[in-house]
Amino acid sequence: MDEIIYMNLETSPSLLLFVFFGTVTVITALSVIFQKNPVVSAVSLVFTFFSLAGIYGIMGALFIATMQVLVYAGAIMVLVVFVLMLLSQRAETLSRYRKHPVRLVLLTVFVIGFFFLLYSALTTGVPHSEQMGKGYENAEYSFPIQGTATVNAKGNVATVGASTYLDYLLPFEMISILLLVAVLGAVILAKKKLTEVNQTKDTVL
Amino acid sequence: MNPLINGIPIHYLLGLAGILFSIGVLGVLIRRNIVIIFMSVELILNSVNLVFVTFSKALSHINGETIVFFVMAIAAAEAAVGLALVIAIFRHKKSTNVDELQSMRW
Repeated sequence: MDEIIYMNLETSPSLLLFVFFGTVTVITALSVIFQKNPVVSAVSLVFTFFSLAGIYGIMGALFIATMQVLVYAGAIMVLVVFVLMLLSQRAETLSRYRKHPVRLVLLTVFVIGFFFLLYSALTTGVPHSEQMGKGYENAEYSFPIQGTATVNAKGNVATVGASTYLDYLLPFEMISILLLVAVLGAVILAKKKLTEVNQTKDTVL
Repeated sequence: MNPLINGIPIHYLLGLAGILFSIGVLGVLIRRNIVIIFMSVELILNSVNLVFVTFSKALSHINGETIVFFVMAIAAAEAAVGLALVIAIFRHKKSTNVDELQSMRW
């Protein structure tokens, strides 16, 4: 299988775009964990999310690319940056591991070995499925409607929507309840207690 | 199984996802700021999303992309609760360094 892949590999625009976005993703992800200033890390993470959205776009998963920009680069990052500003973080010194070079080397070796294990597990374990996939041939998903035979959902968004509301309706409803509970829990956790307000007037937060 | 997705071998996509996951694990291990650990967890979730989309395309099976949508909803819920916890902890300890958070008692 490897030979076939490398023989068919041409320098197509999508491959070049993938190389570009992949490089940006890796560089900005490294920047997220090695920057001393947490706000710079957050901005790097926004770039990581945008380049991942670009990769999803190249692969043809347009719905996922849109949701990546809306949910991750929009909603979640606004929340993170808001909390960073609220807590007024100082730059963290990374010198803790410069004092222990042995520990740093061991950690790096562990992570690199972890990557190779993960990569071999991903590429060899899962994909040899002979079963034909449901839907998604020529980007169509045929589903039954009462009174007619089957109807085709055309295009990526319609296909994902049909799959969500036909095959995964119960998980979808459970997710909505989970989001409601999470929002209520967040409000209760972050709320200042009413008795504390009178005592602490000018403390942090 | 389709070994190429729009001219991109799936090995490249899976390798990128593995690199992202490892970077996220490294961030969780070496950083001490709780917000940056949170961002590393987001990196891990994103690499998992990339694997789901890759296999969804390679196997011509739409369910992978549907599950990515659910993962994003879970990540949003986790962000809301996690950051509220960070604020609550910071109000008591005046710190976001995980080395100083060694007690569950408030």
